[in-house]
Parts: sequence; structure tokens; C-alpha cells
Amino acid sequence: MRMKGFAKHYYLMLIPGLLLLFIFSIIPMFGIIISFQYFNPGKGILGSDWAGLEHFRYMFLLKDTQEVFVNTLVIASMKIVANLIAPLMFALMLNELRLMILRRWIQTIVYLPHFLSWVILGGIVLDLFSYNGPVNQLTALFGSQPKVFFADSELFPLLVVGSDVWKEFGFGTIIYLAALTGINPALYEAANIDGAGRWRSLWHITLPGIRTTAVLLAVLSLGNVLNAGFDQIFNLYNPLVYSTGDIIDTWVYRTGLLNLQYELATAVGLLKSVVGFLLISVSYYLAYRFVNYRIF
Amino acid sequence: MKNKSRWFALVLACSVVLGACSNEANNTPAEPTPEQSAKSNEPADPFGRYEEPVKISISIEVDPTDNELPQGDTPLENQYTRQIKEALNVDVDHQFAASGQNLRQRISLAIASNDLPDAMVVNAVELRQMVEADQIADLTEVYEQYASPDIKTIIEKTNGAALEAVTFDGKMMALPGVQANADGIHLMWIRQDWLDKLNLEPPTTMAELEMVARAFVENDPDGNGQRDTIGITGPESGGKLYANFLESKNNLYGFDPVFSAHDAFPGYWLEGEDGKPVYGSILPETREALASLRDLYAKGLIDPEMGVRNKADEPIIAGKSGIFFAPWWMAYGPLTNAVKNNMEANWQAYALPLNNDGEFKPHAATPSTEFVVVRKDYAHPEVPMKLLNNLFKNEQENTFDPSKGGPGYYPLRVVYAPSDEIEFSVQAFREVLSGSKTAEDFADNKAYKLLPSDIASLKTIKNEPYDSMDISTWNPEANWGAWTRTYSLMVGGGPLVDTEYNEVPSLLYEQTPLMESRWVNLRKLEDETFLRIIMGAAPLETFDSFVENWKRQGGDQIALEVAESLAE
Amino acid sequence: MVRDRTFGNRVTDIVLIVILVFITLSCVLPIWYTLSLSLSSNSAAAAGQVWLWPVDFNFNAYAQILNDNQFFRSFWTSTERVLLGVALNFTMVVLMSYPLSRTAREFKGRNVFMWILIFTMLFNGGLIPLYLTIKELNMLNSIWALVLVGGAQTLVFNVILTMNFFRNLPKELDEAALVDGAGPWYILFKIYIPLAVPVLATVSLFSIVYHWNEFLYGLIFMTREQFYPLQTYIQQLVVSVDPSTMSEAQYRRLSELSNRTLDAAKIFIAMLPVLLVYPFLQRFFIHGITLGSVKE
Repeated sequence: MRMKGFAKHYYLMLIPGLLLLFIFSIIPMFGIIISFQYFNPGKGILGSDWAGLEHFRYMFLLKDTQEVFVNTLVIASMKIVANLIAPLMFALMLNELRLMILRRWIQTIVYLPHFLSWVILGGIVLDLFSYNGPVNQLTALFGSQPKVFFADSELFPLLVVGSDVWKEFGFGTIIYLAALTGINPALYEAANIDGAGRWRSLWHITLPGIRTTAVLLAVLSLGNVLNAGFDQIFNLYNPLVYSTGDIIDTWVYRTGLLNLQYELATAVGLLKSVVGFLLISVSYYLAYRFVNYRIF
Repeated sequence: MKNKSRWFALVLACSVVLGACSNEANNTPAEPTPEQSAKSNEPADPFGRYEEPVKISISIEVDPTDNELPQGDTPLENQYTRQIKEALNVDVDHQFAASGQNLRQRISLAIASNDLPDAMVVNAVELRQMVEADQIADLTEVYEQYASPDIKTIIEKTNGAALEAVTFDGKMMALPGVQANADGIHLMWIRQDWLDKLNLEPPTTMAELEMVARAFVENDPDGNGQRDTIGITGPESGGKLYANFLESKNNLYGFDPVFSAHDAFPGYWLEGEDGKPVYGSILPETREALASLRDLYAKGLIDPEMGVRNKADEPIIAGKSGIFFAPWWMAYGPLTNAVKNNMEANWQAYALPLNNDGEFKPHAATPSTEFVVVRKDYAHPEVPMKLLNNLFKNEQENTFDPSKGGPGYYPLRVVYAPSDEIEFSVQAFREVLSGSKTAEDFADNKAYKLLPSDIASLKTIKNEPYDSMDISTWNPEANWGAWTRTYSLMVGGGPLVDTEYNEVPSLLYEQTPLMESRWVNLRKLEDETFLRIIMGAAPLETFDSFVENWKRQGGDQIALEVAESLAE
Repeated sequence: MVRDRTFGNRVTDIVLIVILVFITLSCVLPIWYTLSLSLSSNSAAAAGQVWLWPVDFNFNAYAQILNDNQFFRSFWTSTERVLLGVALNFTMVVLMSYPLSRTAREFKGRNVFMWILIFTMLFNGGLIPLYLTIKELNMLNSIWALVLVGGAQTLVFNVILTMNFFRNLPKELDEAALVDGAGPWYILFKIYIPLAVPVLATVSLFSIVYHWNEFLYGLIFMTREQFYPLQTYIQQLVVSVDPSTMSEAQYRRLSELSNRTLDAAKIFIAMLPVLLVYPFLQRFFIHGITLGSVKE
């Protein structure tokens, strides 16, 4: 119909953004070539000798690379699950709160940590869990021995996930709160008349009401399965917890920066991108399949 | 599909264009070519002034939060740059400035992108990388022709170590700095007032160290009625258990003296029984030392938060820790704040504990950890050498006023300290205090450049009796700056003068080619295993599997490579 | 909504309030801690004696900041960066989201563009080529490097969000406009944008927070400290110093500069702007993110 001639306008609208991406994102991608080379900075990317898949082969041989991939997967998946559940719980609790003033204050305040960087928060978290810190003082009241939390490689992933949830749950709550406001209040009234209590309303009305949102968020976060959070871990980890805490990004940073092994660092980075791309594609498919929604 | 390949072609095209641009940019020297400049200069005057202004771009370590420059001065325009312009007619420009780890990141970026300043100060790993990438100039002739006699003397006094560090295929690829020997010797710092209070002597053996640490933990040395004190402080998060062959000095809060008391030298390349190089970390002595540290930790005598704590100096400053290990300069470190916090915190240093033969046997550091490199096609490769000559000369003549911006603002500054600077200064102080010599005797002692000003302020901060180093005999509040230096020297440098010791050097202090790809991972394995053993997260037997793994994951090959490089 | 007020419900309410308030307080903690550090004496702060209340209360640190030109220069750089960054982001996001919110039938090639965008979001060549690109564009030490690179990196995410919002606006709006003979530009600016205030506020907030908190590019593209944005400046305060290569002049600086109180004061000031902007944008914000991701 009338929209026939619109296409050229659409292209026009896309041009500025595509140009930006082309210059600042696509052109720099030529750096990926480094991972297939014996990169010699003096000769540059064009002059360096080809290495084929040598760096990738070495990468897969290295015990470290396997370890950091596993660590990344474990930490990131735990984060994904926890960051889906915690905000949901919090939103449900907040939804039950009837003091509106308090509710508004709480809503505003819990987002605050989201805005602060890990550079700042890392130090504070370490202080909290230090040997003489408040957490140990608290557990001492219940008679347990003080513990060096961040020296424990079994606890480390949990602490990372926990502190990440603490930082992000307020922000995640927004989405659920909005979904909750979308539920028709008449449903609650009807349930009330039928004699359903608080818990039954929660189970039969609230939860089904936000099901789609929850599924969609879960699917979307699949793309993050290799992002375990560089900033956070970098500010919290130490060699004692390498076995469970060293992730792809921290490893790439140390390899590339401290030992100037650009090729290996780029190779690992590329593998991460490829896997991330596959996962995004999968989540695109899943979202379409299960909630009939195209995410992009 | 078609679309994709078109994009790819475009990307490639762009990279070609970019690559061409960057090459061009590097090949257009606005300066005269090397031949011209060589001709226009008089033959090799280390201090000669250029007739035409010469430009040099450099990297500099500047802390943006540093406020010590006077009003109106900037890192690019200050007493140092003005003096350089005046004396040499050299215009300095900063290609980049950063501090700490960020500087390393920037240098790494500069190397990788081949976007180098004309000259910069780098470390051993970076130097090696640049030599391999063929990015830097051969400075053999520059050094021979332009190095001032004083600097040549200092470099040559290192028994070839400084030159060896910068020589690749017989060419001198960088100008090495030379630091005082004392920076690499780690001492035991201990709260003397706690010892006195508990009627204890400084521990000389490992057994006594354990006893003293136990008393520090259990007998409430700070007298607040609570069991809240730490016996021995350990490394902080990201800190090192011991200095290693690549970073052989200034390891704060590590356990270097404990290892050497067991004749263990982890992180160092030693000569094995068969005469071949062997890595100290995999020897049985290291296992023993780890066992003993593990024992101390299990008994609660080492900071339970070692390796995790963000700032190891906090308990020291707060007066909660009794012992730590570090080099001589600790008043520059935590002790100033510790004393400000409690004027009775009497920190003293000892060359202890001793090994089974009753010897103090520290590991030795390399004299050179900083290197000045010059970009390959820079037209005036001798400028950096002249800058260093000029700096050394003017430090001797006291031209610069450190209160108007510290010497770190001097372009391309690397330290040239006689290797015995600390010991010599301690002797000089003692002689002046005892009256056997006066300030005039040291007035024209050129190599020890800070000595005259140190001696001038000596008696304002040190009270009688002069032979006691007790904190109560000092008057830091008269001049905190002078106290910091003098206390560091006399208390931290004293044991170096009073103790006879033999140092254990590493067979080499730089990376070999294979290490470039393998060392990060081997180092990670080592750090992780040792920390876990000490802190009881892994059994002592893990050491044996560590040795296996280390060898298998490239350690054996690297040892062969080390042997080869030593044979050359 | 009327609910019964039994005793059990009262207890649930009280427990709920206690839990919620406790969690909320934990979110203010980092800010409070930083503030009390900044108001303490330096030796108490360095000794780790400060926790929830300042020790030796004083304002010295703030007085000292007043004399620090670099701090204010960096503060201004960051402000400028945020203003330009948000403007750029807003324009590009609006222009790109509209055409991409059309169906593949309405706008041929829409899916191809979308996948290109996703691709640029996931793949990158690392810092070195990016640095070279900026250098060739003569943008080193220019605020535009920060604005444009940051813009390119956050563009796709924001476009996905906004595009989803646009897609969920009622089709009838378009149809009515088309009947009136409106063109694509008219529809975008007169119909879509006024309706999209919530999502645009959200996207702007993301962009404010991103540009304010990002420090790495400041470090890479700004070769001199006087051009550093604020977070880069702050990051230099907390970055660890490696003493093994230090010379004596540097030890001296180490002892003079270890000033946790002053650092805390600077960090506190750096936290303020984002925290202050947030409440103003909050009311738009909650609707934005939900409608962007979910179609109920």
C-alpha cells in the first residue's frame, strides 16, 4: 500500500548509526587477524607471518584455558539463575508491602548499588568479609570460628554470585514490578471473594501473570553465559581462588597485558565471541519457539 | 553470503589503508636524518648543547593526582624541562603519561600498535619484546661516545650485570638504570617495644621466630586486653610470597627471609647439583620452607588473611602486627603512618632469621630493572643518554629543588645509584654522629648525591644517645621528610652494614623465548599451589605433584633453554 | 483492593517490612561507608578503624579537593562527555530503532541489518586495533573518541530495547497516520517519539551511567592526564602500585600519596551525579524497560 516508497527513508535513517558502527566497531575487527599470526608489532598486522590455527591448538592444549572456560560457565550460569530469581522474590515481597511511602523509598534506594563501579564496591565487599569484619563478627555471635572468606576457593564463586546479586537485584526488580502492575486487580478481588488467602493468590494469579516475563528474561540472559563479569572478579580475586575464580576475561587480561601474548589473548577472545554469537542465536530461536517472541 | 563477503572485503580494504597510513606516519621524520645530525654535532660531548632545538617525545610516569608541582608548572613545563631546554636545547613532549599498572598497559599498547614515542623507560619483559619486534635502536655507539664518566663507572661497577641485561646479539639495545643493592635484601622488621614488654629477644632461628610470634599473638603485646594481634604479616592480595628472578627486589610483606633460612630460593634460577640450572621453586628446600610456613599458619601465627587482605600495611599501621619482612626503606612505606598513629611503635630491622649454619643468606637482586629504549628511526638516538648525563650531573650539584616537584618529573629518569649507596650512607651518618667526621668531609662526594643534604638535617631529627636506634631517640616531628629517609637508612640499612652475609644470585634475571608463551601459566600454577599449601587449603604433598606438573607443562624445556642461554 | 487483616497477615507484614528494610539499608552501605571514610582522619582510615561512623571527624579532605585543579578538569570532561554522549545516543537510537521495528515485509533487508548489529555487539578485535583506528582518525585526546567509541559500543543494546518498544505500539496509530498521508519522518517524530518517552528516558539513563562510569577508554585514548575523565582519574587512585620496579623517588610519593581519606572524598563526589540524576528519571524509567522487553 502507501508504505511502498518508505524503504529509502528507512535506509536514510539507518545510515548515521551504521556509519558509527562501521568506523568504530567493524573496522577495528581487523585485529582478529592477529590470532592467526605470529604477530610482530614491528611489522604490523600486514607484515607478520601466518600461524594458521597454531594459537588455537595451543589454547585447547592448555589446561588453564579449559579451567577458565569451566569457571566462566559456572559463575555466569549461577549469576544468570540467581539474577532471575532474586529480583523476582524481591518484587513479590515489595508487591505485598502496603505502606506505599516505604515502598517508594525502597524502590528508589535498592537500585543505588547498580550505579556504582566494582572498582569502588570491590574494596567494600572485601572489608565486609574480612577476618575481623562485620560478617565474621556476626557469625561469631552464633559461635562459629572466624573465617577468611575470600581465601576459600569453594566459597569464592558463591561470594561472587552473591555480591553480584546484591548489586543488581534492585535493578532487575524494575522489570518484574512493571509486569506486576500489568496484572488486572479485578483478579485479586475475585480471588478474595472466593476466600483465597495471600499465598494462594500469589500462586494462582501473581506467578502466572509474570510467567512470560520470567521466561523471556531467562532466554535473553543466555547470551551472557560467557560473561562472568571481569570488573567484579578482577577486584575480588587472588591466586588462592584461581582454580574456581579465574575467568576467561581475567586470564586474557593477564596474558595479553602482563606477558604481551597478544595472539593467544586474541584467540581466546575470538572463541568467546563465537560461542556468545551461537548462544544469542539459540536464545533468539528459543524465545521465538516458546513465547512466540522475536527478541530482535 | 554475498553480503558477508562484501563486508569482509571492505574491512580488509580499510585495514590496508590504515596500515599504509600508519607506516607513512612513522616514516616521516620532521627532524634531520641521522647522518645530518651526526655531522652537525661536535664529536661526542656528553653534555653538549644543540644549536638547533631538538625535539623528543617520551612516555612518563606521572600520577594525575600528584599535587606537588608549584602553581603554574605542569608535568611538561617545570624546573626540569626548563633546565633541559637551557642546558641541552632539547624540547620534551609527552606522548603519554600514566602511573602504576596503567603505565604498563599503555606501554604494552604502544608496543603492540607500534605507535612508539621517541624514547621511553621500560622493564625487562617489555625490552625483550621490543628487541624481538625490531622496534628499537642499537645504542652501543651512543653509550660508548656519550655516556658520562660517572654513569659509566656506576654501570661498570655492577660486574657486567647491567650491561648484560641490555645486550642482545652483542648489541646494546637500551640504557640500563642501576639501583642500590639494598633494595633486593629483605629484612625482618619487628616491634621492639613488644619484645621488650614480653621480655623477649629478637628471634634468630626459625624455632625462636615461632616462639616470638606465638607470644605476640597470645600475650596481648598491645595491652588492650584482647587477643587481636597478628604475629607475622604476610603478602597482600596480589602480593608475592617471595621475590623472583624477574622481579627480584622490593617484595613487601613476603617471606623471603623465611625461605632463605631454609636455604630455599624459590623463584630463582640456581645451579643444581649436576651443574645445570634448576628452578629454585621445585627443590626440596622449598618444600621444607613451605612446610614450616604451613605449620606457622596452622598455628595462627601468620596473619590468617594473608594473600586475601587488600592492604597488608593496615594492621602494621594500626599497631596490630608484630613482624613483617621487607627491604630497608620501610619508613617510606607503612612505618611513617604507624609512628604517626603511635609514637611508641618501635619498629626495628634485623638481618634474621638465620639458617641452620647460623648464616643470613639473602637472595641477590639484579641491579637493573629499568631501561631506557630509543625508537628505531629516531633521528637523535643520543638525546636520552645526554638527558641522563644531565640529570646525574645536576643531582650532584643539587640544582633541582625536590619541593618544587619530585625527580620523577625528569624526562626518562632512571636511577643511577652506586650499588652500596645505602651502606655508605649509614656509615657516613654514624661517623658524623660520633664526631669522627663532619659534614664537610662528605661535601664533595659526587656519586652519593643525596648525602650532603641528609647530613645537614641529621641532628634535627636524631637525639642523643646517637648509638641507640630506639624510636624514643628520634624526633620525627621536627621534619617528617628527613626522618623518613634517615630512619629508613639507619634502622633499615644498619643491619646490612653490621651483618656479614653472602648473597645468592639468580643465574639469570630475564625471560628466555619460551617463557614468553609459558611463563604466565607456570607462574600461576606456582602462586596458587604455594599459597594453598601454606594456608592449609591443600596438603603438603601437593608440592610433589606441582613439581611434576611444572616440569611437564614446559618447565623442563625452559630449564634447558636457560642452560643454553647461559652457555652463550 | 480489600484484603482481610488477620493476625497472621499482620505478622507476615511485619516480617516483610523488617526484611525489606534490612536489604534496603545494605544498599546504602557503600555510599555511607565512603562518606564516613572521607570525613575521618587519614591515619584512622589507613589503619582500617573507620566503619560506620567517622573517626576524628573533619572536612580536611574536601577542603583539599577545592585546590585540586585536575579533579575539576576531569569532572568537567566527564560532564561534557555525558552530555555529548547522551545527545548522540538519543539521535542514533531513535533513527535506527524505527526502521528496524518494521517487519521484514515492510522493510526488506531489515533482518540483515539486525544481524549485522548483533554481530558488532559480540565481536571485537581488541584494544590495539581500536587504538590504531582512533589514532588514524586523529582523535587521540579528543572528547569525541570517548563519545563515539562509547556510543558505538552501547548503540546496539539500546536499539534492541527501543525497537522492541516501538514494535509494541498499537498498529492502529500507524494506520491512522498513513490514511492521513503522513510520511515515515512524520510518523517517527510526531507519533512514535512522544509515545516513547519512557524507553528513551531509560536509554538515556543507561547512557549517562555508562559514560560517567567508564574509565578504560579514558586511559587508552587520552594520552595525558589533563584530558582524563573523572573515572579514569579515580581509577588511578585505586590502582595498585608494584614496588618491585620502584625507584626511591617513587617510594617517597607512595608514602605521601597514600591518602585514603582524600581518595574517599573524591570517590564520594564522583558517585553523586549519577545518584542525583536517577530519581528524576525514575518515573519514566520503570515503564520503559518493561515495555521494551515484553509484550503481554
